[in-house]
Amino acid sequence: MSASKKIVLLGHFGVGKSSLLRRFVENTFSDNYVVTIGVHIMKKQVSVNSESITLVIWDVEGTDDFTEYRSSYLLGASSFIYVFDASRPVTYSDIKFNLSHLKEKYPQVPVHIIGNKVDLVDKNEIQEALKQQDIQHSYLSSAKTGENVEQLFKDVAAQLLKNA
Amino acid sequence: MLDTLRQEFFDKTVQVLLIDKKLKVISSDDHLFSIRKESNITDFHPFFYTLANVFESSNKEQSFFCVQMEVLGRLYFIDIKTALKDDNTVAVILIDLTDHYKTVHQIKQVRNESIINFNVTQELNQQLEIQRGFKDKFLANVSHEIRTPLNSILGFISVLENTDITREQLDILAIIKDSSKNLVTILDDLMDISKIEAGKLEIRKRRFDFREFVETLGKTYELRAADKRLDFEFNISPKLPKFLVGDHLRLNQILINLLENALKYTHQGTIKFTVTTDSQNARRIPVTFIVEDTGIGIPKNKIDHIFESFTQLEKRGLFGGSGLGLSIVKQLTELLESDLQVDSIDGEGSTFSFTVQMGVSHNQKREKKNKLKKNKRDKTDGKRPRVLLGEDVEVNQLLMLRLFSDHGAYSIDIAKDGEKVLEFLNRYPYDLVILDLTMPIMDGLDTAVQIRNNPNKKINKLPIIALTGRTGQEEQDAAKEAGMNAYLTKPIDAELLFETIDRLLSRYKRKDKTLKEKGEN
Repeated sequence: MSASKKIVLLGHFGVGKSSLLRRFVENTFSDNYVVTIGVHIMKKQVSVNSESITLVIWDVEGTDDFTEYRSSYLLGASSFIYVFDASRPVTYSDIKFNLSHLKEKYPQVPVHIIGNKVDLVDKNEIQEALKQQDIQHSYLSSAKTGENVEQLFKDVAAQLLKNA
Repeated sequence: MLDTLRQEFFDKTVQVLLIDKKLKVISSDDHLFSIRKESNITDFHPFFYTLANVFESSNKEQSFFCVQMEVLGRLYFIDIKTALKDDNTVAVILIDLTDHYKTVHQIKQVRNESIINFNVTQELNQQLEIQRGFKDKFLANVSHEIRTPLNSILGFISVLENTDITREQLDILAIIKDSSKNLVTILDDLMDISKIEAGKLEIRKRRFDFREFVETLGKTYELRAADKRLDFEFNISPKLPKFLVGDHLRLNQILINLLENALKYTHQGTIKFTVTTDSQNARRIPVTFIVEDTGIGIPKNKIDHIFESFTQLEKRGLFGGSGLGLSIVKQLTELLESDLQVDSIDGEGSTFSFTVQMGVSHNQKREKKNKLKKNKRDKTDGKRPRVLLGEDVEVNQLLMLRLFSDHGAYSIDIAKDGEKVLEFLNRYPYDLVILDLTMPIMDGLDTAVQIRNNPNKKINKLPIIALTGRTGQEEQDAAKEAGMNAYLTKPIDAELLFETIDRLLSRYKRKDKTLKEKGEN
């Protein structure tokens, strides 16, 4: 039996957290926006360099105020994936504030920043906008096209295995 | 009784399990789900991996609200409470609140969708604003770049017309002049369309001699029609007062466009220009303008398209123009709270009409005209007023020199940038300053500010005219803010230039005299 690690997807509502999860676990995508309330949990076993790990991914209801997240949802998380919508600046304008809250409450938990819905924007423009706001993102992804989704979770898994 | 009822309720909605540290099920009452004893609870649902964290947590009790669980194809929303027991087991209580959370879900779905739509609309609006800003800037720059050489072309045509040239050369010059003026019209139309679309064009109502205004238009187009061997009928209702209140400039623009249009598309027959009202002696009257022609007409199925920007009907395209005229007319009449009507028969002609509500001026007496001022200065002091021009482009300098030399009432000095203008002003006495807004080293706006801030009253009170290829309202506002007294655009209209100089010098002299009298008293 492989080790299991809890990963929590965080971010504003409507940024595509659930879509990223479904693309990664089920390889499906729907254009219909369905609100996540509470938490939706899925798992997937991932192999990195012949090592295996079970990612238990918590897709938590979106909010723009991270101080509102219930501590039980984040309990025991090994990694956070902070998702924003690259086509809606309002979903990344407060990223620094939310990151500082996470760093204060969960200093040991690494945070991966993902700009989703990159299929809707000009990549150069979004890169420039993020650069101007000094936002260090890990990936620009698209749950719709699958761009960088597998890679993102594999990177997270590799980091978790490395730190295990 | 109550115990029985409570038991019935809890049996349907609550399940209790006991889990050991290895996450194995010790016992379960299976009220909601059937969970096998001794099985690993994580096999039932991945949520239960978190029980490992519960065992390690310092908090003995934890609550997990609204956990989504899909069991046998049905989605449940469950609140889960855990309590760490002294014997190193965890009691897990599952509370099925699916019905409650389904209602919450519907409310949040609507709320979130509306917020996201609002965000997206806001973002789109911002993008549009940026694009519109870029378009406006681009148009302003292109307009400026074209107006500057056009200024020289039109200016030197005027100069050339007054030299000793043959009749044939004069005819050729007339064609060049017409073409250049067409270019100016296209530029003006482009700028106007841009302003109208951006909602920046304002209606400015003021009292003006309405009868004189339409009669002048009538006379002008009677001559233009005669040039094309067309009949021209001009009718103005005797009911119309002499002075009305309205936006004289926009009315002029609409009527010129309509009359030009009639002239362009009519090759034989008559153009009729009628101005009428069906009301009298009221504070506001409806004034109807009708331009009727016997021109090429418009096919019925294309009438709706003639008001679109850049649209010219195929056969109309033969006659040149930007295709913006009627679009501007349509939008300007809407700005004047009117509705442009068109009635046309293909091959027989068109009638354009609109009605504008105009105020009737209380005072119908002619204002005293201040024409007596002209050339009075020369008689009073014998000296020609001295004008200083700040202009960096050599060809424009030459043109102004020529215009001033032909006019003869003023002398002119030229400085090639703002710094030189200030230097000249400190050295020599001037009566008026003309500044190009775009000059190297120090531009016209900065120069005007420096002049206004000069401690010497003879300098800081000087009238200043902005002369520029930039036609935007922003530039005009900036010029006003910098203390400039008039704003003229290139290509230079020599008549308007000298009229403006006359007007400002008279005002300046009056103020100067008043100041001196006050000083003497």
